[in-house]
Amino acid sequence: MDEFLAEMAEILEEDTVNPRDELTSFESWDSLATLSVVAMADDKFGVNMSAQELQRAVTVEDLYQLITAKKAA
Amino acid sequence: MKLSYSGKAITGMLTVVPAHERKFVDEMANFNFSPKRSIKLAEVMGYDRHRIVAGAVTSSDLAVAGLEHLFAGGKLQREEIDALVVVTQTPDHLMPGTSKVVHGRLGLHHDVFCIDLNQGCAGFIIGIMQAFMLLDQPTIRKVVLVNVDVMSRKVSPRDRNSYPLIGDAASVTILECDAGAPAIEARLKMDGARREALMIPAGGLRRPSDATTAEMVEDEEGNFRALDNLKMDGSAVFNFVLTEVPELIRGLLAETNTDVADIDSFLFHQPNRFMLQKLADKLGVPYDRMPSNVVEHFGNSSGVTIPVATTSNLSARLVEERLRVCLAGFGAGLTWGAMLLELGPLNFCEMIEYQEDNQNG
Repeated sequence: MDEFLAEMAEILEEDTVNPRDELTSFESWDSLATLSVVAMADDKFGVNMSAQELQRAVTVEDLYQLITAKKAA
Repeated sequence: MKLSYSGKAITGMLTVVPAHERKFVDEMANFNFSPKRSIKLAEVMGYDRHRIVAGAVTSSDLAVAGLEHLFAGGKLQREEIDALVVVTQTPDHLMPGTSKVVHGRLGLHHDVFCIDLNQGCAGFIIGIMQAFMLLDQPTIRKVVLVNVDVMSRKVSPRDRNSYPLIGDAASVTILECDAGAPAIEARLKMDGARREALMIPAGGLRRPSDATTAEMVEDEEGNFRALDNLKMDGSAVFNFVLTEVPELIRGLLAETNTDVADIDSFLFHQPNRFMLQKLADKLGVPYDRMPSNVVEHFGNSSGVTIPVATTSNLSARLVEERLRVCLAGFGAGLTWGAMLLELGPLNFCEMIEYQEDNQNG
């Protein structure tokens, strides 16, 4: 989770992010950020997520859950 | 699908780009996004400047300019063209095909096999395959392959998803029989079920263009486009490339007992720098052996990007030496293909500019 949070902070251009932060509270949460999460999920978790799947996430932690759940599946 | 060729080679390559250049920073105001986010996008994707025609230039205009340049320089003779393959998604007309338009404008003789192929970003790979098939005929000794797209005329200038990355260009590639040429291995895959990922929805018979298809509509991300415009599902395309292309390349390398280190240059289609670096990472290819600078300097010209990457990065070497290259194209269809071949020394490998003021179709 720590590595994930560090990756998310970089994608969202913040010093740190908290699991409970809502994604839409970040000005930088847009299609480019979504694409960066897709690439990160592929690179760090070996999971192929679609942008559509990621849209279900409200918070940063939701994203982590979606990725790890797909990896476990 | 596995494809193999022998006794055939690429002997020359020319690219034509519009002289007219536009900068991303000057176009940012057209997009419905904050300048800060647009600049971030440009940094990640590698947007800087791109070549876009200014006026009503067509595919045959760019193709004819390229071929006339070769005739004028003595690098190609009109009479020796046995076949003309034109690969484009932006034809001059619905009918006749653009190969016929080019044939007529150049005054070629009647014993020329002219054929149009509607292919996108895999268009260079598919074009070479078609040219090689033609070279199996004893009467066909020299094939001219033209890849050309003037996609700027079909992309909405207010679509930040597509407009900043596209560029217009043409290439002329000469393919000939060469008994001593090393064997060429290729792979090709298609998935028409995913055809809507890259599409111009209107303008064909399924949805003819009318006043409603020209209407600009805002999508959920804030891009404005009409049904007459190119629509790219960027995220679906990204997933497609990241999943299918590394697998295809790995298979081709494994089946030919080739290591990544054996390849001098990975000349891939140029969607944007971000995607190419992800591909390089997945394949373990050093960035200096996979050019990714075409979108930055010229724009993504669909099937023409491999020749643009080649003539802008390797022209000096390719007229002198022989390089082992791995080509890959992937896009509309969906179509993805790769080819392993020895390239060079070429009779010519250069890029020229198309001046709109001097050349009016």
